[in-house]
Amino acid sequence: MKATASVLVVAAAILSVGCGEGRAIFNVDVYSFMAGSGNDTVPYAVPPASSVDSFTVQRIVLPGGFGSSIVDSVRITSGAANLITSVGAGSIGFSLYIASDSASTHLPAALALSLPATTIPGPGTLPVVIVGDLSSGINDAFTHDTLWIRIAATGTNPNAGPLVGQMALTALQLRVVMQDKIF
Amino acid sequence: MRIAAVALTLAVLVAGSARPARAQFSFDARRIGMGGVSLTRNGNLRRYNPAYRAVKDRPGSGNPKVTIPVPLGLIQFFHDHPIGKLGDDPMFNPDSSAFNPIEVVNLVFNLPIFLEVKKAPTPTNDVEFTIGRNAFVVDLGAAQVLIPEDEFGMGGTSRLLDMGIGIKGFRVSVQGFENHDIGFVLGDSLRAFLKDADSARTNTTFNVLGDGLVQGGFAPTLSFSGRVTGRGSDNDDGVYLGAAVRNYFGVAYYRAVGSGGFTTGDTLFAGPNPVTPQLEALVYRDNGLGTSFGRGFGGDVGVVLISGPMEVGLGVNDIGAKLTWQDTRVDTTYFDNAGDSIATSVVRNHVETTTKLPISYIANAALHMGTGTTVGADVVNTGRGTVIHVGGEQRIGFLALRGGVSRDQRKKMQFGFGGGLRLGPLGLDVGFWTHSNSFSTQRGITMATSISLY
Repeated sequence: MKATASVLVVAAAILSVGCGEGRAIFNVDVYSFMAGSGNDTVPYAVPPASSVDSFTVQRIVLPGGFGSSIVDSVRITSGAANLITSVGAGSIGFSLYIASDSASTHLPAALALSLPATTIPGPGTLPVVIVGDLSSGINDAFTHDTLWIRIAATGTNPNAGPLVGQMALTALQLRVVMQDKIF
Repeated sequence: MRIAAVALTLAVLVAGSARPARAQFSFDARRIGMGGVSLTRNGNLRRYNPAYRAVKDRPGSGNPKVTIPVPLGLIQFFHDHPIGKLGDDPMFNPDSSAFNPIEVVNLVFNLPIFLEVKKAPTPTNDVEFTIGRNAFVVDLGAAQVLIPEDEFGMGGTSRLLDMGIGIKGFRVSVQGFENHDIGFVLGDSLRAFLKDADSARTNTTFNVLGDGLVQGGFAPTLSFSGRVTGRGSDNDDGVYLGAAVRNYFGVAYYRAVGSGGFTTGDTLFAGPNPVTPQLEALVYRDNGLGTSFGRGFGGDVGVVLISGPMEVGLGVNDIGAKLTWQDTRVDTTYFDNAGDSIATSVVRNHVETTTKLPISYIANAALHMGTGTTVGADVVNTGRGTVIHVGGEQRIGFLALRGGVSRDQRKKMQFGFGGGLRLGPLGLDVGFWTHSNSFSTQRGITMATSISLY
């Protein structure tokens, strides 16, 4: 049995099929799947004069029945994170990887969005806005019932002391636009 | 192809509200061109009004000996979908990415006998899904109007045979009867989810409520139809009465009342608990198939008044037709969560239950003017909704022009127009008819063609 709401989406999709050239638009609140699970934070600890990737992986269960759909575009319409640094200074970059299985999120082809690194002047909290169109190369992942995302924080520390903190997501909503070939 | 199968099933259920108004469907292009009304004394009039069995056909009324539909729609359909390749046809192959259950449903509701000259467009709008761990909202936009708010289904009573003998207006016969009445209504949660873009909720049941009855049997019948006034005159003027008394012998019946759907778990998405099927139904069936009958009495009455160019009639069928089944078994069918299967157990056995045949009626009026103009109207209810037809015909030599309107069982107005050409014993007729049988908010137009032999 697929996700609990699969049957509901099937019933609804029947009607969207009946909507001629109309598109099916999915607003997926990714953050709701991560909140409270611990996966909504990415701790970073970057030794002096080095660069380190830290990441968290989250499984997203989507409604079934869209295997023959064609994804037009995927965009992050609402996203935000706080960079909460306890020690040091440097910079933190944000990357989002999406694939249909966990292992594939580590492949370069799974890179959906990469934001320029944010400069960390020192301990404290810095908000980061996360919006943008995702790479079309990951569109096919949305035709599967299960989606895996990997959120990576790339820390760069040119200084003599360590850079320690965590990137805490506060919002992440995807907008997926599909052509009308749900079945 | 589980998804496609589920989709098709649900599509049929949801699309039930888009069923055709059977009472106004006809293979006769003349009738279709007049919005479904029949200006001759046959068809529905003699079926539902016993008094009409005593009324002769109006001289020169144009009653054909036989009417043959010209199935231009079938020709077009099999041109587009070659019969030898139906297995690979994307329209019927759920494995095809082009398979669309809505098209199949529309095909069922619009059998391609006649040519569809204007297909009803399906509403075009984006459908927006909002998905969160414990949120699922579907905004169908303009397509929400397609979701039935009230009960939808199908039903009717048929006389399967009528064998007997008659003398001087009296007739003794045996008639077969079949009655089916199947109705569905969306449960509150499912209706709010689809129609109001309400979010799906955890631990909530989304279901469809159903009530279906099928029964059949035979009925020895004593009937009378005759002319009460105006006997001996050269014309048809007068009052005609008809009545029938029927002793029903129900051979079998089956009734199911309940609900089916699913119940969500603790989490809509990503949760460990899958959706739980929900099925609860009481099933009634006759134990005495072949040994005992469901018994009851009922009857029909009808009256026709003809005065010059005008005639009116009223017929009512199956009055008081209540059948008592002496030996009935009542089962409950439910989904057993523990066994993950559908289970059935006996609730009561060898008990008495009753069923009813719905009362059906027809009221009609026609006015035959001396200028070649005939207008008429009828109101028909075969047990599930009233259908109203109003139409007319203007004859000009060998030509005929026709038009009419109707209100179908879903209270939607439909329009018909057409014409005909009669050359001696041969008539060629064409009729255009709007309909709302498709999964659409707009009407389609069918062109019916038929040949009549006089």
